[in-house]
Amino acid sequence: MTNDMFIQILAAFLFTMGLLVVLLRRDTIMILMGIELLLNAANLSLVGFSNSSHMIEGQLQVFFIITIAAAESAIGLSILVNLYRNFGSIKTQSATTLKG
Amino acid sequence: MSPAIVILSVIAAVLAAYMVIAKSPITSALCLLGVLIMTAAIYGLIGEHLIATIQLVVYAGAIMVLFVFSIMLLNLNNDETDYRKNPLIFFGSIAAGLGLFTLIVLGLKEYFEKHHAQRLLGMFNHETVQKLGGNSKVLAHALFTQFYISFEVISLALLTAVVGAVVLAKRKVD
Repeated sequence: MTNDMFIQILAAFLFTMGLLVVLLRRDTIMILMGIELLLNAANLSLVGFSNSSHMIEGQLQVFFIITIAAAESAIGLSILVNLYRNFGSIKTQSATTLKG
Repeated sequence: MSPAIVILSVIAAVLAAYMVIAKSPITSALCLLGVLIMTAAIYGLIGEHLIATIQLVVYAGAIMVLFVFSIMLLNLNNDETDYRKNPLIFFGSIAAGLGLFTLIVLGLKEYFEKHHAQRLLGMFNHETVQKLGGNSKVLAHALFTQFYISFEVISLALLTAVVGAVVLAKRKVD
């Protein structure tokens, strides 16, 4: 087993764990953390393949993904603070009113 | 297969697995921080120094501070165990996740055995990158020439995100 394949297997495992966090947990902050783990696994896979093929496009793509992930978590956490202010809890089952 | 990468991967995998079942959100946040730092170390070991630095500064620095700050702000000290109340859903999800992982590993094995040797190689191998002035210089040059439009669009997206976060935090929804 080569280094490249080992990194890809680690990326697959991290992706699975992120998916389980998103599916299982009921806290919205845990769901956001799971999304971060999913993005991190995708980044690891991109960098591994790009590095083993002697290219730099994957690394630049990862640069953009990290920027977008920072923006996404800032928006998500401000939504979460709003949720806590309105419902008194950040569990997903407490926010059941779909109202504009 | 270098032993340093194996050790870092095992630590990252254990931390990620514990993140799924940890009771308090702050434990999960610290596990996620560990996974991000291990990933940054792996990036550094395979020679991607700029990405390793950005991962440490932006992910392990800024985003994780934001998460820990939110957990402290919302005072989430109650242990969350109600997702384990239905064992069918809990163990079913874990079995489905492990099945997905097995399928991905089988696909990877197929790819690395049959098609990896015939892949198209780019021009940036290790010696060329060293000759051009290092990983950071090569990436920065490509970022400000070939990917310049994408870079500007990303900066616009960040500006929009900042304005959106401020508006969301100020507004009182009724």
